[in-house]
Amino acid sequence: MSGIRVTRRAFMRGGAMALVGTSAVPTFLQRAVLAEQTNAAATGRRLVVIFQRGAVDGLSMVVPYKESSYYQMRTSIAIQQQEVLELNGFFGLHPSLAAFKPLYDQGHLAIVHAAGSPSISRSHFDAQDFMESGTPDVKATTDGWLNRALQAEDLAAKRQHTAFRAMALGTQVPRTLQGTLPAIAVSSVADFAVGGKSKAAPGLNDAFEAMYDESSDSLLRGTGDETFEAVKMMKAANPAQYQPQNGAVYPTTAFGQSMKQIAQLLKANLGVEAAFTDIGGWDTHQNQGNTRGQLADRLKEFSDGIGAFWADMGQDAEHITLVTMSEFGRTARQNGTGGTDHGHANAMFVLGGHVKGGKVYGRWPGLAPEQLNEGRDLVVTTDFRAVLGEAAYRTLGARNLEVVFPGGQLQPQRFLNILPVG
Amino acid sequence: MGSGMTGILRAAIAGVVCVQLVVQPLGLEALGHKHMAGMTQAPASTQLQGDERILHALNRMSYGPRPGDVEAVRQMGLDKWFELQLHPEKIDNSALEARLAQYPALKLSEERLAEKFPTGPMIRAMYNGLQPLPTDSAERAIYTDVTYFYGESQKHRVPAPKDGDGNGMMPAQDDSEDGPGAREQVQALLALAPTERLQRILDTPPQQLLAMRKQMGVHRQQIVEGMTPEQRETLESLVNPRSVVVNDLLAATLVREIYSETQVQEVMTDFWLNHFNIYIKKNENTPYQLTAYERDVIAPHALGRFEDLLVATAKSTAMMSYLDNWESIGPDSMAARNGGAGRYAQAMAERAKTPEAKAQVQAIVARAPKGLNENYARELMELHTLGVNGGYTQKDVTEVAKVFTGWTIERPMKGGGFLFDERRHEPGTKLVLGKTIAEHGQTEGYEVLHMLATSPQTAKSICRKLAVRFVSDTPPQALVDRMAQSFLDSKGDMREVLRTMWSSPEFWGKDAYRAKVKTPLEYVVSAARAGQVDVKTPLPLVATLERLGMPLYGCMPPTGYYWRASDWVSTSALVTRMNFALALGANAIPGVTTDWAVLLREGSGEAASQQQKEQQLEALILDRPASDKTRAAVMQQAQTMTVAQAASRFQISPDTVPGMDNGGTAGKGQKREQRALQQIRPNAPPTDPQASVMAGLLIGSPDFQRR
Repeated sequence: MSGIRVTRRAFMRGGAMALVGTSAVPTFLQRAVLAEQTNAAATGRRLVVIFQRGAVDGLSMVVPYKESSYYQMRTSIAIQQQEVLELNGFFGLHPSLAAFKPLYDQGHLAIVHAAGSPSISRSHFDAQDFMESGTPDVKATTDGWLNRALQAEDLAAKRQHTAFRAMALGTQVPRTLQGTLPAIAVSSVADFAVGGKSKAAPGLNDAFEAMYDESSDSLLRGTGDETFEAVKMMKAANPAQYQPQNGAVYPTTAFGQSMKQIAQLLKANLGVEAAFTDIGGWDTHQNQGNTRGQLADRLKEFSDGIGAFWADMGQDAEHITLVTMSEFGRTARQNGTGGTDHGHANAMFVLGGHVKGGKVYGRWPGLAPEQLNEGRDLVVTTDFRAVLGEAAYRTLGARNLEVVFPGGQLQPQRFLNILPVG
Repeated sequence: MGSGMTGILRAAIAGVVCVQLVVQPLGLEALGHKHMAGMTQAPASTQLQGDERILHALNRMSYGPRPGDVEAVRQMGLDKWFELQLHPEKIDNSALEARLAQYPALKLSEERLAEKFPTGPMIRAMYNGLQPLPTDSAERAIYTDVTYFYGESQKHRVPAPKDGDGNGMMPAQDDSEDGPGAREQVQALLALAPTERLQRILDTPPQQLLAMRKQMGVHRQQIVEGMTPEQRETLESLVNPRSVVVNDLLAATLVREIYSETQVQEVMTDFWLNHFNIYIKKNENTPYQLTAYERDVIAPHALGRFEDLLVATAKSTAMMSYLDNWESIGPDSMAARNGGAGRYAQAMAERAKTPEAKAQVQAIVARAPKGLNENYARELMELHTLGVNGGYTQKDVTEVAKVFTGWTIERPMKGGGFLFDERRHEPGTKLVLGKTIAEHGQTEGYEVLHMLATSPQTAKSICRKLAVRFVSDTPPQALVDRMAQSFLDSKGDMREVLRTMWSSPEFWGKDAYRAKVKTPLEYVVSAARAGQVDVKTPLPLVATLERLGMPLYGCMPPTGYYWRASDWVSTSALVTRMNFALALGANAIPGVTTDWAVLLREGSGEAASQQQKEQQLEALILDRPASDKTRAAVMQQAQTMTVAQAASRFQISPDTVPGMDNGGTAGKGQKREQRALQQIRPNAPPTDPQASVMAGLLIGSPDFQRR
């Protein structure tokens, strides 16, 4: 284990030098390397969070094929026992999640079933809001749990952090990452530059840099410094030249490209500690389909994107924890239009080098009519905050869980232990 | 010190100000700060003078000066300008009205909007036979078409649209194939006069329209050519009825802020829209409710009495829906005993024949309210009136929630208005903030609203927020107290409160000058005003605001956006601000045009040298000399740049400024908006490339980030 760490650190140094290709390493890169090393000394890990917006049907992702009520309640949309990818004698994966199967078998992928929010809201808006803020049923929270997790991460050490520390792929900093700690939204790695693709871009960049560098306005000068540093770092990472490694093939969809860019930014040693992206299209009220259909297509895109990311990261995957979440599950029964409506508990995936995978975590509440929440959906037996809290605590080193999930009353001794202690 | 002495001193200082302003204005600001240290009073030496006062006032009480505005206010007199602004009804705003005529849906009642531009659930209900088709022939044609398109999309298993964007009936993708004869049919359409063209489209059976959709997409511009705004929107409603409502709402908001002559009214409208925040993606109906909310609830009271505004928001469909009060039912009310589902759902249940229809009714019944909802009660006290730590308890929240049970929406799917439903109202007396509220139905709510509106706590909370917006991120307590007293004395008259602020030395203090960093909204709108842009379609500006983290009506939590610098100064946002500035300068934002050559000619005649041109642009954009660093950087760039470089375009590509995205940050919504942006014709190249680059750099400079 320690052998890997040494190798990795050596690689990072070499990698940073190689990026610029000159003997003089600019300060911004030194800083990135420094940040990397101090982080490696502390936890060495990065957290990637994926939000499945629109409430994915967890009972189709991780199928409880031994539950007879599952088949009684889902006459046309159930995944049959012979069709699932076998997990543990009770659950099986949707066949479209084939990319997950080897990760599960190798022990990198863990599943938490019947996880969800204590809030009973069935509104996408409220439920996403509560999950992203990390404060179920509290509407006035203005920041997101992942921002607070980074704040909680060993503040006393006052580590140097880069502008890419908290990063979202997309046009906007999502709720999850909003807060007092600066977070960056990158919609396209290739376009993160002043002046875009204009011929005049380098000159314009320099003109702005001169104005902001020497601005007598301390507030703007500080941000200006960070901005031009970030732009330079991105340029040094040379996004146009990026080639995925280890034969990874990302889906050509927006989600696939987001995963590819996360891999690229993580590998570029820019100091990313937490990355976020999302994928929509899960709100399958009509014609959900079973092994084929709209949900199956979406699941394939989802798992192929994550699978490609894992392959692409190669040895670096060692230091990553990736968590998936969705605002709530869907009704246990199919509805009159071959779909499912807004439900309660769902399944979460946790993938990573340190993850104790190959296992389905959580207590299974059952699907018999009397076991359902409000007589219609899967009961929540694991609070989503326990899963995210463990990831934040053991990946980012966010020790003060009351900061991350105020009112959540999370305690490390009650974690599911998906990740090793320390 | 005698008054004569003070006068001489003031004149002397003003003279110094003028001289130093030319040389090193930022240095003078630093000097002003030093002088302020340790002083509690505000002597003349710390007060803004002359044109700085005008510029300061325009930067705070408007969305920034347009070229010529400072001079116009100087002519009129600053106090007279402000007093007139407090009476927007006396100001000629016909140029704005002419622009707003492009968005006719804005004038429709919420009910008419819902009829004319059906939402996704309404179309599903129609498809499932739960709603009859309308009788009006044009509307009937639209409903027939969109219902058919919905059915087709279901049959062909087109993935369900994303949440909050539940209709998009006519598949907008252009990867479809032409049906037989589609080219000829579309060519025939184009040969018709606009009115006949629209009629022909409405008369065309939906099957055929579907076959023609690719061709119609290709010729989109020609098809709408010559149509009235109403005709254009009727046509657009065939593709996506809800987006007509969304686009008009967003476009009109920006158009008003950029072009309205009644700037104090606009700034205050935005203040209250943000104070009484509504999130546009709350549900399918929110954009419809917001149209009425802005027009009938917020704008008429923006400079009126606070209590009137508070009552209007409490009864608005937008607020009742956003904070869920319309679903709140008294635990001991008649409705709770009957199970919650309203008569409306029961009537629909009787009409449900197919399994699909029954499922939809079932879903509606399952969502029926079951008890007390405290969201509105809590935010009413915490955010709308008393403020955080405003002295109320959880018990008060519950009691206020009971008071407002029965305040609901009549026929919510059809855009009905406020309804007090006695059956949902919690019986019995309530105890709110130590005061007993006797059982009196709807009147209980008015009693509580009056109590909150007239509370000193509310006066302080509102006035602090006003001072943060208009004066400083950390406003002096004395100023807040003075404004709060004015609030109480005038029974919440906003004109009086603003007059108090205007006549306070703290407002005119040198330490307040350029102390505020522009929010993204202020930045984008002030840039558009400084460049006197002609906005044909505001969609790219709407997209820029989204990219800058401040989408219009896009703040999800009920807190609204904050108005402090720390919330807006960030790395990625700064890159976006610079790129927006360069694109605006270079006339490269489709549908948003500017011509620096014309502005320069109108300003001070032909510039003799590069240096003069740059200084004229400084005057146009900044209304004051740029800092030495900024000027040096602009000049350096202008001199080293080749003409070809200057002329190379900064494309506002969908990648650089993505469009409105409903829901997730990646995916289908983005692609659809990319298509929408691509449909806007690109602008002509800039007539003066060098001036374009200079202007872009000045708008992106630190000098333009403050107000």
